[in-house]
Amino acid sequence: MKVRVLYFAAARDMASVGSEDVSLSERASVGDLAREMIRLHPALKNLVGSLRFSVNREVSGNSERLRDGDEVGVLPPVAGG
Amino acid sequence: MSLKKMVTITRRHIDPSLVLASVAVDSAGGAVLFVGTIREKSGGRPVKGLAYEVYKQMAVKRMREIEAEVRRKWPVKRMAMSHRYGQLKVGEVSVAVAVSCEHRAEAFEACRYAIDMIKRTLPMWKKESFGNGTEKWVKGSPIEG
Repeated sequence: MKVRVLYFAAARDMASVGSEDVSLSERASVGDLAREMIRLHPALKNLVGSLRFSVNREVSGNSERLRDGDEVGVLPPVAGG
Repeated sequence: MSLKKMVTITRRHIDPSLVLASVAVDSAGGAVLFVGTIREKSGGRPVKGLAYEVYKQMAVKRMREIEAEVRRKWPVKRMAMSHRYGQLKVGEVSVAVAVSCEHRAEAFEACRYAIDMIKRTLPMWKKESFGNGTEKWVKGSPIEG
């Protein structure tokens, strides 16, 4: 399956890309995607402990299962306001 | 800026008087307006400006959820929230929240809660730029769901 990954702020800087499609095995979880993301962009390793993920615009846990076509946001610590 | 849209994320200048005017209603006895602006210093260092980045579709969804939550907790008459993104200069308005209620106590509480939730749960980031040409992402907090 394929998911659409959106990188923001420091994560975008480290990945050197704003968004990309990532191929994963069926029944892959958010945690599996995180590992694949670091394989694709090793610079993200320094940031990964502070990252949170959203799936289809909802904050998600690492054990959440992904589905084909999901939109995953890679979210460094936030600072709005 | 439209008076009809109560939740906006915009690149354009925010006029707090319009945000306040949008919550005016005869049944309300008071309105509270919070206005966030770009401070001239960060950690003692003079700041030239701030660049806000946003995950826009998720942020709009979160703001609507914040509004729904505020309305469950307090008897709100009208409520408006506007957050800016893109490049901002010192003194410019980054965010405005207005709430009108029958009585002032609940208007203050509801407005305070809304701006705190905006800070904690909106997927937004800011990069400070300094006079010597350096830039730095502002250290944030993990997003809350």
